[in-house]
Amino acid sequence: MTGAATAPVLRVRGLTRRFGGVVAVADVDLDIAPGERRAVLGPNGAGKSTLFNLIAGADTPTSGSIELFGADVTRLGARQRARLGLSRTFQTSRLLTGLTVEDNLYLAAVGVSGGRLRLLRTARDRTAREQARATAESVGMTDRLATLAGDLSHGEQRQLEIGLALVAEPRMLLLDEPAAGLSRSERQLLTALLLSLDRDVTLLLIEHDMDVALTVAERVTMMHDGVVIVEGTPAEIRGDQRVHDLYLGKAHV
Amino acid sequence: MTMDRMLTLGTRGALAVVLVVVALMPVLCTTFFTSQVGLTSLWLGLVAVSLTFLSGYGGMVSLAQTALFGVAGLIAARLSVESGWDPWAAALAGILAATAVGLLFGAVASGSQGIYFLIITLAFAQVTYFYFAAVPTFGAHEGINGVRPPAVLGDPVQDPARMYWFLLVVSVLAFLGLRHVSRTAFGLALQGVRDDPVRMAALGYNVRLHRTLGFTLAAPVAGAAGVLSAWSNTRMSAGSISLAIAILVLTTAVIGGLNRLEGAWVGALIYTLCDTYLRGWTDRFTTWLGVVFLVIVLVSPGGVVGLLGSATSWLHSRLRGGAPPPAAPSTPAPPVPVSSGGAR
Ligand SMILES: Nc1ncnc2c1ncn2[C@@H]1O[C@H](COP(=O)(O)OP(=O)(O)O)[C@@H](O)[C@H]1O
Ligand SMILES: [Mg+2]
Repeated sequence: MTGAATAPVLRVRGLTRRFGGVVAVADVDLDIAPGERRAVLGPNGAGKSTLFNLIAGADTPTSGSIELFGADVTRLGARQRARLGLSRTFQTSRLLTGLTVEDNLYLAAVGVSGGRLRLLRTARDRTAREQARATAESVGMTDRLATLAGDLSHGEQRQLEIGLALVAEPRMLLLDEPAAGLSRSERQLLTALLLSLDRDVTLLLIEHDMDVALTVAERVTMMHDGVVIVEGTPAEIRGDQRVHDLYLGKAHV
Repeated sequence: MTMDRMLTLGTRGALAVVLVVVALMPVLCTTFFTSQVGLTSLWLGLVAVSLTFLSGYGGMVSLAQTALFGVAGLIAARLSVESGWDPWAAALAGILAATAVGLLFGAVASGSQGIYFLIITLAFAQVTYFYFAAVPTFGAHEGINGVRPPAVLGDPVQDPARMYWFLLVVSVLAFLGLRHVSRTAFGLALQGVRDDPVRMAALGYNVRLHRTLGFTLAAPVAGAAGVLSAWSNTRMSAGSISLAIAILVLTTAVIGGLNRLEGAWVGALIYTLCDTYLRGWTDRFTTWLGVVFLVIVLVSPGGVVGLLGSATSWLHSRLRGGAPPPAAPSTPAPPVPVSSGGAR
């Protein structure tokens, strides 16, 4: 961190993940600058979710390295990376279905702030509860605080999924298809939420919906068959012939 | 509204009557009933609740709870009978030993889930059983007889009242303690681990540590049940922790309902009543118990307690005149207190 204002918060080098014969992620290099909004695009099976799992520590690379906030985290587990300030959402919601919305958010706050093993209620719980309710408000779930996460509608589950990633005030946010299955108005709310994020937060976003992706992102990385094929601004991506052939030309799912 | 209120009062009233009967059992019932049904239900419920806690809140269906029960019970019995320890000190030593063994079991089993977790804990149960059945220090198959409970608790057979109340107090404390735990950061996170370990890791939790500590926390409860069983029966042997007993504890917890802690004692009472009064009527007792078990599991996954809950709400909606139950009034979200320091 010596003076280099543009030292990347995330630096990925030669990242590869094989599943048997399938190379889901193949020799990927990626640099994300502090505060950047980056979208990762690509057809289904391109390796986007696998790349996210590797960055978040939910999966281990076959080879390659990952640096987060200037430290090598290749060997760290998901929980250590979370405690460093990395938050992520999952493509298919992973919620604590037997707990209320408030308890979901509360646990997300406690997970990073510490006191995870506490057997007594303390002042720190109050802070975590306040954080939980404030986040519920920012994702529009204040009236659902007492509802079990398993009883939420699909759209609400996606909202909570994002809430869980936001509570702990992460430095880096990975969102895996946050708009999947949302209605038009819900997508607009999501776009507004993402645009309103603090500039301190770096955002990495997988999104099929071009309206959401290209509105929020400043740079776009295009993947296909595990490989990065283009990187550029949304305008450059819109104009790229390969991208058109692969992706934009086809009616996307 | 008034109807609702009356129904709520009715439910509360029924519950109060049950609690009074339970509290006054030694006064209201015969010595035989208090000793045979009362004491047995309480210690069986206590070991079952250690499983209900692990299963309901931690998603860990363990067959090793009887092993921990046996470690505490047999060590306490051995120390008081053979080594002349004070019964309380022997009990404490037994429970601490069970907790240490629980930590060890938990540390090993916490890496597995579902059926694998079940099999590993089955192995623990078997190893513990064969150890106690073989080692002469613990009386081998004979077990340890003539265990004398602390003098203040009286004779568990001739005069079980004080022993009964003591077991009742321990049971209530265990219930309140486990319920308290389930509402703390630790306990909520344990439920989070039950629901989705991958999510919990992504939120910064050490899933394996949480499982291990959850398992350890349930161990002294199972251990206390072991000591109380040895005191109530004035004996304990390897046979008290055989595989059949491990499965009985699982059955008890399932019959009562794995979703609610109180289910453990309800299941224990049902089993003990059947064991005391049905066994004489039919020589197919075990078969009938199996049928009862099957029916309860099929009819209500939440066990008897779950069944009672559904029956109560059904009654409520019927008595309201068939009107569809109104959606629960959405409680207004508590206002976010404006704190000077922690404002976001
Ligand atoms: N756990 C896994 N086991 C085997 N193959 C996998 C696994 N996860 C992903 N894959 C494969 O890796 C490739 C990339 O998948 P994924 O990262 O989910 O793509 P995307 O998110 O871009 O749609 C696909 O061919 C998929 O079948
Ligand atoms: Mg994907």
